[in-house]
Amino acid sequence: MKKRERLSYVGILVLLVITIAISLILGAQTISFKQLISGISGGSSTEMNVIMAVRVPRIIVTLISGGMLAVAGALSQSVFRNRLADPSILGVASGAELAILLGAFILPGLAVGKIIFAIIGGIVALLLLMTKDNLRTPYRLIIVGVALNIVFVGITQLFSNGTSGSSSSFNGVTWNEAWLVMVVGLISLLMAVILSPWANYLKLSDDKLATIGLSVITIRVTLLTVIILLTSGVASVVGTIPFIGIIVPNLGRSLVGRDYQTLVPFSMLSGAWLLLLVDTVGRLVVLPSEISAATIMTVAGGIFLIWLIQRGKLNEINQR
Amino acid sequence: MKLTNVDYSYQAGKPFIANATAEIQVGKITSIIGPNGAGKSTLLKLLTGQIKPTAGKVEINDTPIDELTARQRAQKIAVVAQQNMVYDDLTVSEAVKTGRIPYHSTLSVIDDEEIDPFLEITSLTKYRDKSVGSLSGGQQQRVWLAAAIAQEPDYLFLDEPTTYLDIRYQKRLMTFIKQLNRTEKLTVILVLHDINQAFKISDNILMMAAGKIVAVGPKNQLMTRNKLMDLYQTKITQVEVPDFGKYFIEIPD
Repeated sequence: MKKRERLSYVGILVLLVITIAISLILGAQTISFKQLISGISGGSSTEMNVIMAVRVPRIIVTLISGGMLAVAGALSQSVFRNRLADPSILGVASGAELAILLGAFILPGLAVGKIIFAIIGGIVALLLLMTKDNLRTPYRLIIVGVALNIVFVGITQLFSNGTSGSSSSFNGVTWNEAWLVMVVGLISLLMAVILSPWANYLKLSDDKLATIGLSVITIRVTLLTVIILLTSGVASVVGTIPFIGIIVPNLGRSLVGRDYQTLVPFSMLSGAWLLLLVDTVGRLVVLPSEISAATIMTVAGGIFLIWLIQRGKLNEINQR
Repeated sequence: MKLTNVDYSYQAGKPFIANATAEIQVGKITSIIGPNGAGKSTLLKLLTGQIKPTAGKVEINDTPIDELTARQRAQKIAVVAQQNMVYDDLTVSEAVKTGRIPYHSTLSVIDDEEIDPFLEITSLTKYRDKSVGSLSGGQQQRVWLAAAIAQEPDYLFLDEPTTYLDIRYQKRLMTFIKQLNRTEKLTVILVLHDINQAFKISDNILMMAAGKIVAVGPKNQLMTRNKLMDLYQTKITQVEVPDFGKYFIEIPD
């Protein structure tokens, strides 16, 4: 690992620890650093119990979801060979969310059903996207994806009586949801890290891959499965949170390079940090109320993405 | 490597390659020549197993090519394409490592040392950490050649390898290929547009026209003015160039 990569990893780990500590301490009920340390080392107090029941599961879900969204983006950029590809922009996340809503109509009260429906929704969205023409033309893929996303969000709103169908908030996250995210998240993130060399191979053309003995279809379908798991896992617990999948991997490339074996773990850590930061800020700025992480990401993330494109940071799409 | 009565059609009922029968001599350099649209690149894809014949068979060391797994095929056959598309970017070292994939699990990490000899032989060692996109056309071509050699194949195929190179690099590349053939006993098959290049480098010539193999054999028998005029349907003159030998020139009308 080069010096710059090492520094980036150390930097993000330090930021993560600091942000986790701040997020644990600050909130509607603020505890002291001393109380936090005594709580971690086994001491119990009323404040600590509240934090364990409310803040800790929320932080866990936020961290893992952030990591999942960023890695889903990084892998999508490899599979679609397009640095703007991201499940939240391409309609995969909103497809998953729509399927959850439809599932609730068909089979109400089925708790595990949520993730199954989310996976089905994600698959349907990808099937609609993955035409030959869309894969060949980078901008066409993005335009079709954006249109698909708007359609899915529209239908979701229609079914939820005009209010936004999105439940994208970490407010009120329970330990049950934290466990679900931990299981789905850790499995899918582990798969992503193990499969990251395959994401590198997709930098070569399909013809070239065939001549070095690799099955392009196996690689693509496997990585898409991981992307669907990552996206549906987040969608079924917290809904859609846009832009993390584009911003994090693209900034990551300028810090740790373009090798997916380095980029995937780095995106995971950075995505976790970014989403926790955003959620913590949203939780603190308008106390006792809060702004959802999805809202902040939509506004700030959108502006940041425009800045990134204007500065020409994403100019190298499919030029060679 | 043998082709027996091979047909190939892009559209059902319209054979593009018809009844192709030929044998590629092991250890020699064979160039496939012929006019545009003759089916040279399609023949190359059939020989390398990238496409399956609609009839007939392609054999490598007496085994039908479709009985080999993709990995076994990649250990025997390497291809340097005319254009090497790269999405995103990768370093020279990463690109050359792709040639070692047929010898590893697809998820394993390939050591830097493993590609040292292939970087060395193609004079790319000092560029190993450079991005492929930052190199010149000639250097990029060398990277893909290094990746192909890293496959340690029995057969090396090159589709129009000189198209994007200036004459200096063309000459260097051809000398290098000849050297590989002689020292590594590598069987080389090239698709070439330039008949003089084909004549200079090859031991054997495979002539194609309109989807048919017109002739296969030693270059001195096949590369005559009359046979080339028949093949390309154009006027060709033969001259003698000192220190080179016979040289064919197309005379414009």
